[in-house]
Amino acid sequence: MISLGQLALDSDTAFTLLPELVMLSGLLAIILIPNLGDASFRIPLTNLRVPILIGGSRFEATNDPRMPNRIATLAFSVAFAASLLMIDSSSEEVGGMLRSDAFSRLFSAMFIGALLLVSAASTHRIPAKQNARAPTDHDSEATASRKISILMDNRRQVDFYILLIMVGLGMSLMAMSTNLFMLVVCIELASLSTYVLVAFHKEEDVGGEAGAKYFIVGSAASAVGIYGMSLLYLWSGDLALESLATKWAEMEGIDPFAAFGVGLMMVAFGFKVSAAPFHLAAPDAYSGASSPISGLLATASKAMGFVALFRVLVMITVPDYGEQAPWFLMLAIIAVITMSWGNLAALTSENPKRMLAYSSVAHAGYMLAAISVIGSGLAGEEGTRLILIAITFHLAVLVLFKMGAFLVLSLLETDGSGHRMEDLHGLGKREPLIAGSMFLFMLSLAGVPPLSGFLSKLLMVNGIVSSSAGTGNSSATDVYSWMDTVDPVFWLAAAIVVNSALSLFYYLRLSLVMFFEEPASSSRLKSASSLRMAIMACAILTVLCGIGPVSEWLVSLVSTSIDSLVG
Amino acid sequence: MINDPLSVITLVPIAVGIALLILPKMVDSAEGLARASRAISMGVSLAMLAITTMIFLGEIGNIDWTDYGSGYSLTNDSFLLIPSIGVSWKVGIDALSFPMVWLTTLLIPISMLVEWDAKRGHIFHPLILIMEGALIGVFVSLDMFVFYVFWELTLVPMFFLIMVWGGEDRRYASLKFFIYTFTASVIMLIGILVMYLYTPDVASSGTITGHTFDLGVMVSSASGIPSEGLRHLVWIMLLIGFATKMPSVPVHTWLPDAHVQAPTAGSMLLAGVMLKMGAYGFLRIAVTALPESTMVFIPLLIFLGMVSLVYGAWVCMGQTNLKRMVAYSSVSHMGLIFLGIATMQPLGIAGALFMMFAHGIISPLLFAVAGAFKHHYHTLEIGSMRGIAHHSPWLAGHMMLGWMASLGLPLLAGFVAEVTILIAFWMTFGWLVMLPALTLIITAVYYLTSMQRTIFESDDPHQGILPESLHGEDPSDITWHENAGMLILGALTALFGILPFIFWDMMSDWSSGFMLEYLTQAMESEGVNP
Repeated sequence: MISLGQLALDSDTAFTLLPELVMLSGLLAIILIPNLGDASFRIPLTNLRVPILIGGSRFEATNDPRMPNRIATLAFSVAFAASLLMIDSSSEEVGGMLRSDAFSRLFSAMFIGALLLVSAASTHRIPAKQNARAPTDHDSEATASRKISILMDNRRQVDFYILLIMVGLGMSLMAMSTNLFMLVVCIELASLSTYVLVAFHKEEDVGGEAGAKYFIVGSAASAVGIYGMSLLYLWSGDLALESLATKWAEMEGIDPFAAFGVGLMMVAFGFKVSAAPFHLAAPDAYSGASSPISGLLATASKAMGFVALFRVLVMITVPDYGEQAPWFLMLAIIAVITMSWGNLAALTSENPKRMLAYSSVAHAGYMLAAISVIGSGLAGEEGTRLILIAITFHLAVLVLFKMGAFLVLSLLETDGSGHRMEDLHGLGKREPLIAGSMFLFMLSLAGVPPLSGFLSKLLMVNGIVSSSAGTGNSSATDVYSWMDTVDPVFWLAAAIVVNSALSLFYYLRLSLVMFFEEPASSSRLKSASSLRMAIMACAILTVLCGIGPVSEWLVSLVSTSIDSLVG
Repeated sequence: MINDPLSVITLVPIAVGIALLILPKMVDSAEGLARASRAISMGVSLAMLAITTMIFLGEIGNIDWTDYGSGYSLTNDSFLLIPSIGVSWKVGIDALSFPMVWLTTLLIPISMLVEWDAKRGHIFHPLILIMEGALIGVFVSLDMFVFYVFWELTLVPMFFLIMVWGGEDRRYASLKFFIYTFTASVIMLIGILVMYLYTPDVASSGTITGHTFDLGVMVSSASGIPSEGLRHLVWIMLLIGFATKMPSVPVHTWLPDAHVQAPTAGSMLLAGVMLKMGAYGFLRIAVTALPESTMVFIPLLIFLGMVSLVYGAWVCMGQTNLKRMVAYSSVSHMGLIFLGIATMQPLGIAGALFMMFAHGIISPLLFAVAGAFKHHYHTLEIGSMRGIAHHSPWLAGHMMLGWMASLGLPLLAGFVAEVTILIAFWMTFGWLVMLPALTLIITAVYYLTSMQRTIFESDDPHQGILPESLHGEDPSDITWHENAGMLILGALTALFGILPFIFWDMMSDWSSGFMLEYLTQAMESEGVNP
């Protein structure tokens, strides 16, 4: 069954897989171009030298340490534009395991957009000198080691962007997978690259530790998930999502193989979205990684987990109207615990990256709460659609303001700071525009209108309310029985809004220190123009996606893509 | 633009304010803008005042306010903002919102004037300008989504005003203010979303939810919420949002902290307009949409109103901080608004509306006085100085006028409101009126004692006893701009006390119409004789 033999690379397929192919060529270019040099081959016995280009001393352009960044940014930009344009095109099957439709293209645009921001932000991140030279024999030992370290930095550029593109390929293909096996393989491709990227933060000691921790916990979670997948295979004999869904719908009662399989897969996906109790590695990983990578984990990697949840929970095990899915109650409880735990832990964090990590755990809780409403069987077709739109919209705008917040921290990191609350002190005086953007991001995370974080939270709460209000007792007269007029699911909406109010405390605290405290140094931060541009773009889009034509465009885009998912 | 003056007075201040804040930081050549921003802000706010005054005089829109029917005036062609979920830009005013809009446009230039010499004025004045747009937006928007957006947007400039220009404890106060009111509003948001769910299906027009946030539609279709219990639940959720803003006991505790720490202009706007947003929203949304539930909860309203009134006044007596005292007196007066609504009489509701307006002039005067006091005497402790009339005759005069107006002296604006609410209360509840009426005595007691202690009462006939915070220096009398602002407010207090019918007519027209349209039927169905 599982074979890629049917995949013929004709022009149609090439067009369908355009964003992936662009990234793939970017990958090849990054491997090849920095190695181009003036090496030549002398044809024996003649004086004819044939240039072979690979090796020798490199040309000035290919020697430039910024080259990999430029290639990666270009590849991501083209792939991003291609994915966006392909959202409206019709659905295409590729090789029996991939399908390019509005849903997968919206998510690949989301993933690639996040990666584009990371790539643009990393231009100034990795210390590198343009004129790195190898040490010669007359250099003193100190000079030699300095030269070597500069040289090593130069080489690091290539590795970093290769890994980024691998993440992009894995995530993008993952969104297209119609087969559970392909899905898991693509998740692993993306995950393994992110483990390395987390450990890539060599400026600080914690990077390696964070990477190791994240790798160990992540691979254990994946192993459990793959075991779950093998149980599902035993049960159904086929891993195509559609046949799994049919099999599940035909199932009498609950088959233990199927239930355990889905349950174990939840562990793997729960780790990806950092749901409690699998979230414990997340704060360490986020605070150990360099900020753009933390932003990637908090946005694209989380969105990847949610695509997997959509595919498995919503597509395979979705209950009929009026019936409860077996996972409903468990997921609802996990959601409430996740959001409360995230918010409470964030309240006491003194490291802004940890704080944002916990806030990202809380956001996972909000989205899980919305998913659990689908499982309650109250939502119906229309309600399910609304909730899926809300979650997808939230994931899309999260790329703007969550990533934006991490990019601001990244700008601080160029100064060697950014992992203590004190580093943000007085940012309002040092960099008014950056601090203003950070304030916008914080308000948007808290869900203050008219920012996009508000619209997404409103859609989510609306999805829950519209499924659960007015479903109960209609003759209630005293206070206790009013509670019966709504299904208990209704209180998930209350849990979300109360948690948002709770979260406001730490978001505002972070904003307060930016404007209220005196800065330790009054110098401006590094100019880092592309990083600043990325922050500004995030800030402007955070506002525009909250109200007005841009938000309308995004909502209708998301709704098209959800239509293609639920058919 | 002339056809749509309401959008102009909402959006222009916000746009100009944001431009004044951002441009000088982004473009180096715009440095001069920062220096001019104070004057530009003042100019824009005066232009807005001119527009609303012209609307009042009938120059724009030709509205005859002395004979106001029902429905909205100056509505625009609604413009779809987020058609997918039924959000549109739709504005309009009626006799409920117009006095508030006019009050906002009036108070903004006055509060700018009072704080004309504020530190970092190039940020201060644009922030107040943004505040103006957000406040007007709350009163004019006829779309619930946009209403909620402006409702929350008012928090942001106020948060900054308290945080940057506030007193010693500003950090705590600004956080508490933001979190308190935000929490209440998100609970209100759930109520709004339930109402949204029961708006008629408009799926054909390309929406994904099939519903609309249009205020008129939401309000009229709220009776379609299937069960009575759910309607009550929605009403309670709305009440939590609105009562916290007003604020009513027991959710009032953010107010004294915010007021004491806020800068003068912030306090003036907070007390003058922001508190009225609660009462406005309560009448516009909760009472209008769910009149039956309102009837059911009248005892709750009376209880909340009465407790706020008595508790606020009682706590005032124990206050030694001038601003804190004025803040608690606001809680007390807001209690009267609930009582006025609870009477379910046109007279009572009109009285509540007039209370909103009168308190909107008097309390900014009191806070301007308190701010000037802090500015020139460096303290707010009532007991620490005696006989300031010797040193600051103007300040003493304004203080006296403000306190007299606040305790309800006839011929000043506060009296009209209090007496109509009490009459209506008597008409509905009979001798129960003794309770609020006697509370007004407490109000008189605390104002008169503080007045006696601060303004007069000094051993020396030629000079007062000065607080230690002055360190032996002579206090100065108030500056020209503080004086000008207070004079305008004082004059308006007297004007609306002597000629209340300027706004009274439209208010009583509105409340009679409102009664007929929404409440009479509800009263009949609840078995109350209207």
